[in-house]
Amino acid sequence: MASIRKSGGDNLLVRYIILVSWALVCVVPILWFLTIGFRPRTEIIVPEPIYWPTWSLDAWRLLVSDWPIALYLRNSILAVAGSVVIDLVLAIPAAFALARYEFKGREDIGFYILSTRMMAPAIVAVPIFFLFKNIGLLDSVWALMLIYAAINLSLVTWIIRSYMLDIPKELEDAARTDGAGDLTILWEIMIPACLPGIITAAVIAAIFAINEFLFTLLIASTSKAYTMSVALANFTGGSDGVIYNAIALVSFIAFAPILILVILIQKHLSRGLTMGAVKG
Amino acid sequence: MAHSTQTLEKGAAKAAPAAAVYSVRRPRSATAKKMFPYLLVGPAVLYLLAITLYPGLFAMYQSLFVVKFVNWSWAGLGNYTRIIQDREFWAALGNTAIIGGLSLSLQTIIAMTVAFFCYRDPFVRGWRIVFLMPMLFMPSAVAFIWKLAFNDGRVISDLLMSVGLASNNVDWLSSVWLARLTLIVADVWQWTPFLFIIFVGALQGQDEEIEEAARLDGASWSSIFWNISLPMMRPIIVVAVTLRGIDITTMFTNVYIMTQGTPGGATETMSYFIYRQGFRMFNFGYASAASVLMLLITIVIAQTIVKRAFKSGKS
Repeated sequence: MASIRKSGGDNLLVRYIILVSWALVCVVPILWFLTIGFRPRTEIIVPEPIYWPTWSLDAWRLLVSDWPIALYLRNSILAVAGSVVIDLVLAIPAAFALARYEFKGREDIGFYILSTRMMAPAIVAVPIFFLFKNIGLLDSVWALMLIYAAINLSLVTWIIRSYMLDIPKELEDAARTDGAGDLTILWEIMIPACLPGIITAAVIAAIFAINEFLFTLLIASTSKAYTMSVALANFTGGSDGVIYNAIALVSFIAFAPILILVILIQKHLSRGLTMGAVKG
Repeated sequence: MAHSTQTLEKGAAKAAPAAAVYSVRRPRSATAKKMFPYLLVGPAVLYLLAITLYPGLFAMYQSLFVVKFVNWSWAGLGNYTRIIQDREFWAALGNTAIIGGLSLSLQTIIAMTVAFFCYRDPFVRGWRIVFLMPMLFMPSAVAFIWKLAFNDGRVISDLLMSVGLASNNVDWLSSVWLARLTLIVADVWQWTPFLFIIFVGALQGQDEEIEEAARLDGASWSSIFWNISLPMMRPIIVVAVTLRGIDITTMFTNVYIMTQGTPGGATETMSYFIYRQGFRMFNFGYASAASVLMLLITIVIAQTIVKRAFKSGKS
């Protein structure tokens, strides 16, 4: 039976005041925004805020009738899933090389891959826009897929690399004496053994891709290639003003699956977010 | 390439079963062996080069022109001399540093406090899920939550008035610091979980026995934190804060949705400056020059801090 172990603050009262306060800060805006999705529009932007909602399904009706939510969902899923596949195909061999082989320039190549994560999207935004314009890929899901893959490639490579570093070399040596080649080792030993790392990397890459905003805004110049993230911003402007109840509803539709994915990989999350620089 | 050698080897093994025991794996030539890691890492590097080197070079080239739709006219270093005299550019740089710096400090302090109070709590798994929720919202949705709470729905003003902290409706976009504050609140709310998750993982991973021993020696929890936990976590803190810091310097979505740089450019970040010059005013050459300058700054940061952070994080 686990006893209540002591942690920071031997004073339980202080501890729980702090934890509950922060939990409220995290959750109350989310719950409040959830109610926004079930209110009539007339109730949201008024001089005196109304805290207790009159329930309404206006936003649902708007989404179903006026808003191509199926298209935006399809765009999001296609671009995100495609980008994750590209990332895994490129990153797994790269991570294998960086984790297991001695070769000239290994450190520099590893750092180059890492450093692409440090590039501000705005820096490459203008040229990327022209690049896709020139090859005629503006306003397409394929362009988004390529961009998302590039944004997350460094992250995915580094996460997988860190998991590969943890796999005991003996496993590999044993296979090698049995006559397995390099690729067999990668395919039959490394990939199964670091599957948690691969899944973590894929989930984190997917979350960043779903949420990506700036490039999607620039490349998806008409609503044809809009993803959920950018389509939200489309509820604003025009004669109607910001349509908050629809925004709230859409953000919850996107939030739910992400929450489930993250709960599934919770254990690996901290390591994944630091690209494997932190073990645990 | 390498794969076909594999199949060849297998074929050879089948053809000569008698000798198979010793020659299943034909030793590959020395050069093939040397090239193999490059073949593995090559595609990823080429992909990244295509998507970073090309834009980098293109931005440098374009920054030497004045671009008017399809007409490019040579400007030499004109864009650069203009930009270093452009007060808006320096203001954007300053705003990024001020908003990002304040936000990052707040996030670090809150994340550390909350992590420290919760890592040995019996319900730590539950707390973790609750505390990380804001991070899982789409950034654009988060920006709308706070736009509604601060400006459009006046909820925060109303709450402040009801507890007597404000006497009348606050116009958050009317003052430099209030507008910045709204961006900071949104950023802290969404991204404190990032640091929290990492810190709590690090605290849980530390050796419990050292803590226990210190406690038996009569050390108070605060001295355990300052003298044991914090020093042990240092490398992890450096990595996490560095990564978060880099993300903050690229702050765009909140500015785009919540403030659009108002009032008077006080909330315009570097990313928004480049976006506005390029995609609102169509000064593509000028925007590219700003990008190149920002790229130089990023490279300097990446080379120094990040390399060090990742070295210390690994040891």
